[in-house]
Amino acid sequence: MPRKNHARVVLALLFSLMGFTYASAQEKAKTLFTGTFHGKVHPTSGRATVYQETDGRQMLRLTNFKTSNGPDVHVVLIAAKDADDDANFLKNSTERIELGGLKGNEGDQNYDIPKGTDLHRFQTVSIYCVRFNANFGAAPLEKF
Amino acid sequence: MTNNAKTSLLRREWMLAAVTLLVLIALWWTFRPEKLWVNQKVNEAAPFDESSTAQPILTARFEANAQQTSGRATVCRKPDGGKYLRLSDFTPPNGSDIHVLLARGDNPKTAQEAADGQSEGIDCGPLKSNQGNQDCDLPMAADLGRYDAVVIYGQTPRAVFGIAKLEPF
Repeated sequence: MPRKNHARVVLALLFSLMGFTYASAQEKAKTLFTGTFHGKVHPTSGRATVYQETDGRQMLRLTNFKTSNGPDVHVVLIAAKDADDDANFLKNSTERIELGGLKGNEGDQNYDIPKGTDLHRFQTVSIYCVRFNANFGAAPLEKF
Repeated sequence: MTNNAKTSLLRREWMLAAVTLLVLIALWWTFRPEKLWVNQKVNEAAPFDESSTAQPILTARFEANAQQTSGRATVCRKPDGGKYLRLSDFTPPNGSDIHVLLARGDNPKTAQEAADGQSEGIDCGPLKSNQGNQDCDLPMAADLGRYDAVVIYGQTPRAVFGIAKLEPF
């Protein structure tokens, strides 16, 4: 009986160890898409990258990012291949998904992407001034 | 001037001042001119541990040249300092003896020179397989700042099939 218990403990340990190594091998955000910003009227530069986290959530991360500061500036995903400077998404009736107000006009920042967003359709990130309906800068996303 | 007229004039001045102030506040709120010279800096962490996993440093997608070559080339740095080149989402050109090369210059002319061995480059050798992701190690001492593009070329005949103009990640 004690020997049987020992075997059980050893087996349990072995399985948990396997589970642990499997989990740690999985424990890395996957890079799905990436692209660089362009924008001359309101100088915008840097990189936009979409990551899939281990729990399945998708996140947009801006790195080496810089844009001009302005009123009511938001980060949006648009259903377009690209966007010109100062493009008016309201007038052009460009579909967009709101990711939130721009946290800062300089530096690395993360934004959650709503569940179920089709990134093959909403394939461009735009820094959008909602008050004046003007695109400050756009980053078309391409498969990583 | 009577006392009454004086007070009404004073009242009118106050009204004017109040309205002007409101208009100024509305204008300020609309345009936020101070943002022209005030920067808002943020620095959020990556959704992964940047120090324990390999990090991309340069990346680009291939622009097809002579034949259909598509996909992405990314130069990565491992935590131990080792560097490697990864081809992902990759469709190679037809043919055998297809090579991968890290080259200087990013136009067809410089790519052809690199493929011909006339300019400095790091040849990663022939493609390992015809499908999927593949990695090739780069020399530890490679100065990646010197290279501008990843070139896919065929040995016989010596032809450039694809160029990826590297950009910082």
